[in-house]
This record gives sequence, C-alpha cells and structure tokens, in this order.
Amino acid sequence: MFFYSCALHKISHMAPKPKPQLLHRIAGDSSQSSAKRARAMSTDSPMKEAFTKYADYLNNLNDKRERVVKASRDITMNSKKVIFQVHRISKYNRDEVLEKAEKDLAAVRDQFISRLINELRGSDFWKLRRAYSPGVQEYVEAATFFRFCKTGTLLNLDEINATLLPLNDPSLEPLKINVLDYILGLADLTGELMRLAIGRISDGELEFAEKICRFVRDIYRELTLIVPHMDDSSDMKTKMDTMLQSVMKIENACFSIHVRGSEYMPLLGSSEPSSFLLGVSDIEL
Amino acid sequence: MNSVFRKAYFTLLSRSLNPNSASPFFLQALPFVVTSYTLRIPFSRPRSAQFLSLSVNSCSMAGGDGHAPLSSFLTSLDKQFEEFRTQLEESGSLRERIRGVAMEIESSTRLMQASLLLVHQSGPVPVEVLEKAKAQIDVLKDQYCRLAEVLHECPGQYYRYHGDWRSETQSVASLLAFMHWLETGNLLLHTEAEEKLGLNNLDFGLDIEDYLVGICFMSNEMPRYVVNRVTAGDYDCPRKVLKFLTDLHASFRMLNLRNDFLRKKFDGMKYDLRRVEEVYYDVKIRGLATNGESTGDQGVQA
Repeated sequence: MFFYSCALHKISHMAPKPKPQLLHRIAGDSSQSSAKRARAMSTDSPMKEAFTKYADYLNNLNDKRERVVKASRDITMNSKKVIFQVHRISKYNRDEVLEKAEKDLAAVRDQFISRLINELRGSDFWKLRRAYSPGVQEYVEAATFFRFCKTGTLLNLDEINATLLPLNDPSLEPLKINVLDYILGLADLTGELMRLAIGRISDGELEFAEKICRFVRDIYRELTLIVPHMDDSSDMKTKMDTMLQSVMKIENACFSIHVRGSEYMPLLGSSEPSSFLLGVSDIEL
Repeated sequence: MNSVFRKAYFTLLSRSLNPNSASPFFLQALPFVVTSYTLRIPFSRPRSAQFLSLSVNSCSMAGGDGHAPLSSFLTSLDKQFEEFRTQLEESGSLRERIRGVAMEIESSTRLMQASLLLVHQSGPVPVEVLEKAKAQIDVLKDQYCRLAEVLHECPGQYYRYHGDWRSETQSVASLLAFMHWLETGNLLLHTEAEEKLGLNNLDFGLDIEDYLVGICFMSNEMPRYVVNRVTAGDYDCPRKVLKFLTDLHASFRMLNLRNDFLRKKFDGMKYDLRRVEEVYYDVKIRGLATNGESTGDQGVQA
C-alpha cells in the first residue's frame, strides 16, 4: 500500500541501475570526489549501509516513475488517436467510425492502461499520480468523447472504473481513476466537443450541434460548483476559462445559424456547406 | 477509490436507481444485485456489462435526435457531480484536520529549534539545552500519532495529503538528526528517526525523501555550529564535523537523484562541507590552539 515500505522489501531482488551521466555530473561537482569516495567505500559504516538502502529505494522509485511516465505517454498518444477517429464522424459513416473508435479505445485499455496498472501494482497510486495523471486525463477525455458521440450521455467515473476493473489483479487494490483526474479530463473534453460542434455545423447537422451545446453547458455548470473544492484549483481555474471560451464558441456558432442560417436552409448538406460560417469568423477550428 | 467513496456512492444509488449511471458500477459494488434492467452478470466479467449498458443507453437516446429525455439526463449528471462535491468536501475537511495537526507539529518544531539554538552560544553546551529540546520529542510523537489516526480514515491515500505535512516533517527530521549527532556523533538513520517519532507501523511512516531532505537541512546547520564552537575554544570540533560531513556527503553521492528539491539541497551540501573545511584549515594552520581568535573568516577566498 505504501510504496516506500514495499520498496524496501523488494530491494533485495532489484539491482540498482547506475546512471552514468548523473554520477559523472555529481563527480564533476567536487574536485576531491574520487579520494573521498574511496574513503567512504572502504569504511563499512552503518551510515553507508543505510544509504545503500536509500539508494536502492530511490533507484526503484525513479525507475518505476520513468516507466509510469512512459506508459502515461503511450496512453495519451493512443487516446488522442481515438479522439481523432471520433472526429471523423459524419451522418453518413457514424456507425463504422464509432465502431472503429470503440475498438481503438479497447486497445488503449488492453495494451497501455493495463501496462500502467501493472507498473503501479502494489504501490500507492497517489505517490506517482503526477507521473500518470496526464495519460489518465487523456483517456478520460477519449472515453467520454466516444460515449457522448455514441449515446449522447456522459460516461460516469464509475463506469470507466468498471471497465478498468478486469485489467487489475484481483488480489490487489484495483487502480481506479480518481475524481480529480476524471474532472480534469472532462474539462478537456469540452474543447473536443467544441471542435466537433463546429465541424457538425459546417456539415449541416444543426441538431447534433445544439445537443453538443446543451451538453457542454451542463458540464460547465456542474463543474463551476466543483472547482473550489479541488486540490489544485489554480490549474482547474484556467481550464474553466478555456471551457467557457469553448461554450461561447459553440453558442456563437449556433447563434449565427439561428439568425442567418434560415436563409441558407435549402443549401443544407449541398455543395456549399461552409457558407454557414460566414458570420462566425472568430471560430477556431 | 476508497471506502468513503464507495459508501457515499452506495447511499446515493440506493436512494434512487438510475440506469444511465449505474449498471457496471453496481456490479462492482454489489456484485449480485439485480438492477432495474434485470441484468445479472457475474462479477468477473464487468466489461460485458459495459457493452450491455452501452446498448441500453443507445436504445433510449438513439442518434442524438433532440428527443432525449433531458430531465433524466440532467438528474443523472447532477447526481454524479453532487457526489463528487460531497467527496471533495470530505477530502477538504480531512485536509483541514491534517493541516491542523501539521501546524501543531510546526510549533513544537519551533520550540525545539529555539532551545537548540543555544548550542551556538559561546562556552560549553549545557546538558539542559539538549534535555529541553528532547522534551519536545514526546510531544511530536503524540502529534504524529494523531496525524496517523486522521490518515487512518483514508487508507491508501497517504501520498494524497503528503504535501500538507511534508515540510514540517522535513524540519522535524533535521532537528532530530542534529540532536542525535550532538549526542552521539553519528547520523540518525531513517529507521531510528521513525522510531523516535513512533512511526513504526506500515501504514504511516516517514518518507525516505523527507528524511533525506531533513538530513540536508541538518548539514546546513553545521558550518555555523563549527564556527561558534571554535570561537568558544573547542578546536577539536572542526575535525570531527569535517569527518562526519565528508562521510555524509560521500554517502549522499551514492544516491541517484532526480532533478528535484532533494537534488538541490544535496547540491547545497558541498558548500557546507567547504565551509567546514575552511574552518578546519584555519584552525590547523595556526597550530590548533595557538590563540582564540581564529574564527575562520580569512579562509573565505580559498
């Protein structure tokens, strides 16, 4: 449960991996280093013995952190691919696009999240949270994005965690995505939904865009109440600002359609769909 | 994530069952309950539940055609976020309690530090100085015991709240180590530090990195101590301190550090070492006990 204690037990079967460049740098710091080192090595003091343990602990921890960071980066990369896949949606290819996205999402889980879980096995999930948080957030974003396009609903945290459960070793405390990462992931989701809404509007799928608009508004509203209670709320506050921007972009686009769109209605889905965007020059795609 | 979380969710769910938010989680919390969809799925295969619930949802809200029952969607959304808010509020109040204990620890540390500052005064260090500082150890022990109790309420989240007592603990480690050194001339080891604070159980221990940072803080204290000892006429002190710091620095060099706070503190240690070397040099080159003025100021340029 607590990493340091676990690590101390594991020390015996983990050989410390020396990091030559780091050692070199430290050695360069002080000119008399080699003489001192020799002296310290020759005296077999309890201090040295204890520091051997600390060194093993730190080596283990750092190696593990590195592996977790790598797993997290892979999760991010592949979750992004899922998001891009979902963006390829249109009213003609909806089912096949979503089917592929679902497969990709499952692959992210089975290949990369399971690797993360494997790395974190038996350690305190909060200790290394910084190392894996970005990946998990991106996964939350991808999974919720996919779910919204598929069913128009919000994928709950408990549902996500339930899908991760089979990847866990049943004898250990399962890795569950924590509330904070989930919420941070949701905050990013609105950015994707904004892009999607704009894209759908240019394709003439107005109802879908309006639905996205309502959904994003709801999320924004819910999150306003949550933000003050979050641990690192400064990070979240900037996300909230961006989220509001996204909401407004969708609203402005819907507004333009509402006000000017009726004139172009006959053109819906025809050769010049982009004409809807004439009035909304401030939209970033 | 934790039992509090499960409990809270469970009470919410049992009050009103919402199919949209529920089935897979339900299986996880209450494996053998039949939900409103009468899905009975073995615990070992929750992923199939996920797919089932997906298809159920897409039946009810197919295609995003604007006919989705907004009200039910909203309540399920509301419910989850309400839940989050309760959870985060709980975690916030827990954090507040932790901060409360951490502040008490901080003030005991301050008392300890104030008494230890007397070792810098000229003249021999009276035993009472150490005794007075040591009296605080029991207070600290009690405070850490209370901290452990608070954290016992959220098993597995030691590191979630770690930041709230981290810097206090680092100073505690440094003072304990300094006292131990004054008494014995040896380094206080991690296990010994844990023992002093009564942190022997596996659930709540002293983080090794905190301990190491504390040791670096202690090293920062050494140059001043040496200078004042020499001024007070104790010419053997620099030699002892130099030996100790040299060993300590050599031991620290065994560690592969990341570019973090500990690394920064360790990098600072060599300046302490250099300063002590200078004092030692100054005392030695003057034939040790020649006169009482050699405080080492001349050696700064070395």
